[in-house]
Order: sequence, then C-alpha cells, then structure tokens
Amino acid sequence: MTSNFAGLMADSILKAKGIRKSFGKKNVLNGLDIELQKGDVYVLFGSNGVGKTTLVKILATLTEQDKGDISHFGMSGEEHTRDIRRKIGFMSHEPYLYRDLTAWENLAFFADLYSIENKEKKIEEMLKMVELYHRSFDRVGSFSRGMKQRLALARTLLHSPELILLDEPYSGLDLNAQNMLNGLIKKMNGQGATFFIITHDIEKGMEIASRGGVLSKGRIIDEDIGKEPEAFKSRYKEILGGEGN
Amino acid sequence: MINSMLILALMILASFRFIFSFIDFSETQLASPILWITFFFSGMFALAPVYMREVEQGTKEGLMLAPISPSAIYFGKFLSTFVIVLGLNLFSTVLFFVFFAQPFPDMVSLLTIIILGTVGFTALGNLISAISSNLSQSQVMLPVMLIPILLFTVVMTSVEATFQIFDGAVLADIMDGIKLILAFDIIFVASGYLLIDYIIEE
Repeated sequence: MTSNFAGLMADSILKAKGIRKSFGKKNVLNGLDIELQKGDVYVLFGSNGVGKTTLVKILATLTEQDKGDISHFGMSGEEHTRDIRRKIGFMSHEPYLYRDLTAWENLAFFADLYSIENKEKKIEEMLKMVELYHRSFDRVGSFSRGMKQRLALARTLLHSPELILLDEPYSGLDLNAQNMLNGLIKKMNGQGATFFIITHDIEKGMEIASRGGVLSKGRIIDEDIGKEPEAFKSRYKEILGGEGN
Repeated sequence: MINSMLILALMILASFRFIFSFIDFSETQLASPILWITFFFSGMFALAPVYMREVEQGTKEGLMLAPISPSAIYFGKFLSTFVIVLGLNLFSTVLFFVFFAQPFPDMVSLLTIIILGTVGFTALGNLISAISSNLSQSQVMLPVMLIPILLFTVVMTSVEATFQIFDGAVLADIMDGIKLILAFDIIFVASGYLLIDYIIEE
C-alpha cells in the first residue's frame, strides 16, 4: 500500500518543516519534519507523553506551533484556515459530541456546520457504516465509550475529508470495532483518502500502515517501516525501553 | 435548564413580594429595580453554560475544526441566548404584574427597553462567557467580570428608563435612555464580533 506518488509536489497533502512546540520549559516538539503524500496511511507510534497529541493538534490547525512551517494541500497561513479545515477530518481523544443530543442530531449539527448537501442520506450512510443506525435516536449520553468513539468516527468522516487525522483511534474499541476501523481505513484509503494516525498500539497500527515512524524526543526518529516490519517493531520496542516505558 | 431559569425568576419575584409585604413602600419607585434585578440574576443563569458547556463536554474543539468563522459561533450563541433571555424577561414581567398588581404603564415603551436591554445583556454576557470559559473557576469568573460592566452600562440605564415609564413616561420621553442603551448594544455586539476570534482560537 506504499504511496506511488512520493515526490510529486502536486500530490503533497501535508508538509511540515522544523516544527517546534514547548509548554513552559518543556520542549515537546524539536524541529520535527513530516510530509504526507496523497494516499498515504502514515502511522506515528510513540509512548505516552512524547507529544503525539500536540503534533496531531498542530496538524489539525487546532494548536499553533511556536516555530516551523506547515502547508496543507499547498495552502498555508491563517487566511486559508477555513479552506484547510473543510478538507480535514480529526478524531481526537474527545469525541466532540453533545451528550444531550441523539446520534442523529449530533451528525445533523455537524453536517450543517460543513454545509453538507443531502445530509439525511449521508447521516444514514455514516450511522450504518459505524453500526449505530439502530441507535440513531438515542441520546449520546447513554452510549458506551466504544459507541461514542464509533460515532466520533462517523462525525470525522461525515464531510468526506481528504486528510483524516486519528488520535489513538483504537482506544476504547473492542476487537471487532478495531477490525471494523481498520477495514474502513483501508476502504477509504482505496478511494483516495490520506490518513495520519497516531497510536501506541503497534500491532493494529502496523496492519494498515503504508508509511510510519516513531516519535521520540520531539522528532520522528525512525521512518523505515515498509521494508522490514518485524525489524521496525523491535526497534520501536527498544526506543520505548530507552524512554523508560 | 429553561425550567430552572423560570423557577429562579419566580422565586426572586416571590421573595420581593414577600419582603415588601411588611414594609410601606411606593411600588412605583421600586418597580423598576425589582424588575431589572430579576432579569439580571435569572439571565445570568442562562449565560453561564453557553461556552462553559462546550469546554466541559469537550466540544469546543469540534466547533473550532468546522470551516466556519468564530464570529458565526458567537452570533449563533448570541441569538439563541437572546431569544431565551427575552422569553424569560417577558415571563418575569407578566409575573411582576401578577405579584405586585401594578397599573400598566406604556407597554410599548416598556417592551422597547426590555428588548434593547436584553440585547446588551446577552451580547456582553456571551462575550464574557467565552472569556471566562477559558479560565479556571469559570463559574465564579463570569459574574465577577460581567456584573461591574453590565451594571454601570445597560442595567443602570435600563433601570432609569423603566423608572420613568412606571412614572408615566411614553416612548418620546425616554429617547435619551433608548439612544444610550442602543449605543451600549452596538458597542457590545461589535466587541463580540471583533474579539471572539482571539478568544475562541486561544
């Protein structure tokens, strides 16, 4: 599944160079570089607290980096933020769902924010895809963690984003739901969607990765995932060991 | 939520009625402050969760991710709270006349002041609610920041104009008050429009 488009600027979905971010005296990202091409499923591994969520929030335009340049779809700068956000889908730790609204109402609200045409059909399709159609009119407050995560995925994909950022997407999902998610990622990737996924679940992440890397000490230190997956896994475990995990 | 606000308004007015049943007072003099104190505190209850709930439920980032301008979020929330607070104020006004058996003043003037005062109250309240939602102890910070500004602008001007209305004034007599409240309304709405980008994106 390795991208065939590497090197073609026209297909560069995301390019980040020299990204730095600190919180107080703690340097979280130290001049990080990353580039995603159309069709990539880039999985970034890393232990807890190494800055994975900070990075994905910067890439999702939710947090601003202290230094460094980022361009999405060849666009950069504040004047393009809305155009960029229209093409991005981001699933975070938080499901970004309203507890007092039903699953359907939640998706309808976000469909309106993204001006989605024919929204009823799209919402129905999304709810069926995440196997929550039978709970369409139940309040989200009554959902389990895994169900909220699946509904959050539906919210993320509702506007058919070109770049999908997933932050620890497997957490809270049972094995069936994890497999469903990976199946969905493969299917959408086949349709042209680009994924950037951060996780510490090496087994699940490796199942779908076309590219990948390990975030450690504020940089991506190992991107050689494709040739020898087993060797990559061992190196990853060594890195984790070196960080005291 | 709306039920709680209606009950709060009812309790405030009932308390005033009970307290003033022991005191000889001119209801004409006190009608205006009683009405605006009721609006002020029951309305505050409506403003508190406007942005705080987004932060508590973790939905604020979901809104920020959407390809809409922060001012659209501000105006959406402003309009919805305006409708709720105006409904609440009209309900309180009806209750006021029931409890205090006041002769009806010029209702066009009274409604004008209530509507204009509610615009200023909700415009500034939404802005302060957005600011306080980013702070720790946001529930305390909202009234601490909102009360001084609101009290010395929209509320005092509205109290004075309402006092004149209960004293027999008609619309033409309170034009100065109306202009002043309108000016506050414009300043607060414009401030919300201009500042909300920085507050929400923080």
